[in-house]
Amino acid sequence: MSGKVKEWFLQRIPINTESTANAVNEVFKEPIPSHMKYWYYALGATPLILFLIQLVTGVLLTFYYIPSPEKAFESVRYISEEVRMGFYIRGLHRWGSNLMVIAIFLHMVRVFFTRGYRKPRELNWVIGVLIFLVTLTLCFTGYSLVYNQLSYWAATVGTNMLKEIPLIGTLMLEFLRGGTEVTANTLTRFYNLHIIFMPLFLLILLAVHIVMVRLHGVSKLEGKENEEKTYPFFPEHFYHTLIVGLFILVVLSSLTVILPPGLGEQANPAVTPNHIKPEWYFYGIYALLNLLPLRFGIYLIIVFIIVGTFWPFIDEYIKIKWPKIKVHYFFGSLCAFLFLLFTVYEMFV
Amino acid sequence: MDNNDKKKSRREFISKSLFGGGLLASAGVLLHHGIKFIFPEEKEKRSRKLLVGRVDELKIGEAKEVNIGDRSLFLVHTNDGYKVLSAICTHLGCKIKWEGHRDRFYCPCHQGIFSPSGDVVSGPPPEPLEEFKVEIDKNLVYMWIEETTGGIV
Repeated sequence: MSGKVKEWFLQRIPINTESTANAVNEVFKEPIPSHMKYWYYALGATPLILFLIQLVTGVLLTFYYIPSPEKAFESVRYISEEVRMGFYIRGLHRWGSNLMVIAIFLHMVRVFFTRGYRKPRELNWVIGVLIFLVTLTLCFTGYSLVYNQLSYWAATVGTNMLKEIPLIGTLMLEFLRGGTEVTANTLTRFYNLHIIFMPLFLLILLAVHIVMVRLHGVSKLEGKENEEKTYPFFPEHFYHTLIVGLFILVVLSSLTVILPPGLGEQANPAVTPNHIKPEWYFYGIYALLNLLPLRFGIYLIIVFIIVGTFWPFIDEYIKIKWPKIKVHYFFGSLCAFLFLLFTVYEMFV
Repeated sequence: MDNNDKKKSRREFISKSLFGGGLLASAGVLLHHGIKFIFPEEKEKRSRKLLVGRVDELKIGEAKEVNIGDRSLFLVHTNDGYKVLSAICTHLGCKIKWEGHRDRFYCPCHQGIFSPSGDVVSGPPPEPLEEFKVEIDKNLVYMWIEETTGGIV
């Protein structure tokens, strides 16, 4: 019977079963360098797992969310307080976004300090930076949808910052706001970006990133390229990834139950509340713009993003000039220190 | 290349050019219409004269908030007379507050401080508050303001 069913499907989907089985087998037998047995080297899969969780919980939230200035806040309240398990799904989504930022950041830190981006993997680092930026955009548009005071003023301040970007700033501002002011158009655009464009873009970036990792193979530790042993992806690393996934779910569930996301105060365009602050991952930028002149601060952020994106090429150039100096240690440590400093500063100011 | 081939290649060239040109033109029209759709039309702004207060309403050094549509403004009585200032901070667009006891405008987002006449006193704002034209007629204070355009709200 199963043979007949198989034949029926194969007639309609004419694939070569043997080569497909070989391809799947190859994926499972992918040689993984032995240093990946340490947990902190196995963070790469966490953003993907979190992305899948965000996708599922996000789709569920759209069943009840209404993207209109009059109803957005009320619909979030309804999800959180009246829909069965609504607080749980929203909590998973909210904490998932926070963990995703942390997971990508930690993965990038690991890749940076081990110079995993070195030739020929430079382009995959660039894609990684894009993944991080798109994730931050998703977080920004996401918490703007709640339409509480933080959402509204974050959308106002955030889009105003864009205005200072040379050449395309005003265009970006008008594109995002759907005009010159924050209006209903802004909310629907943020909604569109948050549920369609950005997730699709992120999905494509993640797919390309993973394919590139597979094409190059997982990078071995620098200086140990020839001596480091490998082991097959399946079963050890596969189960490793599953355990990471389960751990994430446990952490997310616990955070949601212990610290469910609140609602805040409904957006009021007439009053900017005292002590308004963005989410913690934007504290650094927020503090920087407080301390520096606006245009200078924005230019500094742009320069930092450009240097960070193309760092593998810059690092390669520096390495040729000064082969004995590990500049990436200085640059990476300085950036991590400044980021932490500004974040903690903003936290307590 | 004989005459027939030449004709054929000429015909091919013309047909491909027409096809390619048509395709490009259609894409251009589609792009143009798409961009027009994405960026809402900025309607011609008309200036309107509006009554915002009475001359004897505020003492020197006092201010009051005035809301016109969804725009927030402040009417201030300074030593130089009446002024109408925008309540939107010139740094990143947050709404400022009038702190009468300190004789200043304060922005809660990045702690920008403006004087009663709208000049930057301290903090990150790059320029003074937007000022509107004021007219005094008999005992009444009027201001001139452009109607804003935006989304459906």
